[in-house]
Amino acid sequence: MVDLKSVKYIKLRIKRRDDPKSPSYWQDFQIPYRPNMNIVSVLMEIRKNPVTADGQTVNPVVWECNCLEEVCGACSMLINGVPRQACAALTDKLIEKYGDRPIQLEPLTKFPVIRDLMVDRSKMFDNLKRVHAWVQVDGSWAIGRGPRLADKDQRIAYEIAHCMTCGCCLEACPNYNSKSDFVGPNAIAQVRMFNLHAIGRMQAEERLDALVAKGGIQDCGNSQNCKRVCPKHINLTAHIAAMNRQANAYVIKNFLDK
Amino acid sequence: MSKFSFFLRRFHSLIAVVPLGLFIFVHFMLNSAIFLGSDAYVTMMGFMRGFPFVQVLELLLIAIPIIFHGIYGIYIVYLAKNNVLQYKYYRNFAFYLQRITAIILVAFIIWHVYTLRFADANLAVMLHSPLIFVLYVIGVLAAIYHFTNGLFTFCITWGICVGDRAQKIFAICATLLFIVMSLWAVAILLSLALA
Repeated sequence: MVDLKSVKYIKLRIKRRDDPKSPSYWQDFQIPYRPNMNIVSVLMEIRKNPVTADGQTVNPVVWECNCLEEVCGACSMLINGVPRQACAALTDKLIEKYGDRPIQLEPLTKFPVIRDLMVDRSKMFDNLKRVHAWVQVDGSWAIGRGPRLADKDQRIAYEIAHCMTCGCCLEACPNYNSKSDFVGPNAIAQVRMFNLHAIGRMQAEERLDALVAKGGIQDCGNSQNCKRVCPKHINLTAHIAAMNRQANAYVIKNFLDK
Repeated sequence: MSKFSFFLRRFHSLIAVVPLGLFIFVHFMLNSAIFLGSDAYVTMMGFMRGFPFVQVLELLLIAIPIIFHGIYGIYIVYLAKNNVLQYKYYRNFAFYLQRITAIILVAFIIWHVYTLRFADANLAVMLHSPLIFVLYVIGVLAAIYHFTNGLFTFCITWGICVGDRAQKIFAICATLLFIVMSLWAVAILLSLALA
């Protein structure tokens, strides 16, 4: 445990990249210690005065952030090797946990880097579209409100609804990589949620078809890293197992019905 | 056709338990004849080799499933980008070990089947060599780990255990099964080596 009173600087080691095609490189920064900072506020300090630890003036570090309260997922990055949100990563806690050595910031590795810590996470949106992760209400006539959701189903749906599509589960998943087109734990959980929904349920089979297509739920290898890194503590592995049950039953039923 | 990879992966999972998982038990039970002495062991092996339609049974219940499981399994090993050094979680380590034991087993099973089924070597004599004994212990423990950990993930893959509590109970059962089967297998190997 480091005594925060003895800390004079917050040190950072940032993996940078100028554009998607150029190679990445590391740069060290340090800012005078102030209590109660988070990684976003530290990056803002660097933006005000973009000088490296060895006195070289450089381009300010590029990163994304939006809500600043761990509900949007925009500031997701690797902080000391752990995928998490920069806004919720408190520097005092990091220094207490990892000591006085530089806090290491890297962009997520499973998404294309645009610049520095900013990545293109649109693949996640594509995957949500792939599994029909929305309630379809647009049609020629109004379909009404639908029946009320039972309390026990609401509880399951509420947990999954915390997902902010931040990408931490995909970052940690060994089976989500350039060699496969695995749809990922978050999209599988979303299918469970939308298939519970009273109106969303009307497209349940469309979603299950997507889950058993190439790159679907079968690509899960049960490493269960997704559950461990989820910043919203969504029990992704239970949702995957529940969808395994639904997907298997669906495929068998489909085979026997036709 | 779009469900083809789903079908392959589920088939790969299913045949691992039936017939291959069941076969491990039958295999160990037959090997246990060594506990009654080498005469009983030889009688049992002679009986199994002369079993009606033994070659058809071997081909349909063992050879074809194991070759499919092995080849598709190597593809699954290739698909993963392991990250145990970065994410030091128990299940992630088990995921990695499942793939390591898979590779060990491909080599071990080819050697095991070639020497004992086709080249007709005498295992009891082979096991007198400490090197072969150690290789056998490694191979058999890898098989048991791959089976018991696979049995646990089978229960998730088929949606048998879903919640945390169920998964925890199944994980404990799989670990106990690993310990029991390991002791059983080592006892068989020791009895064979000392026979």
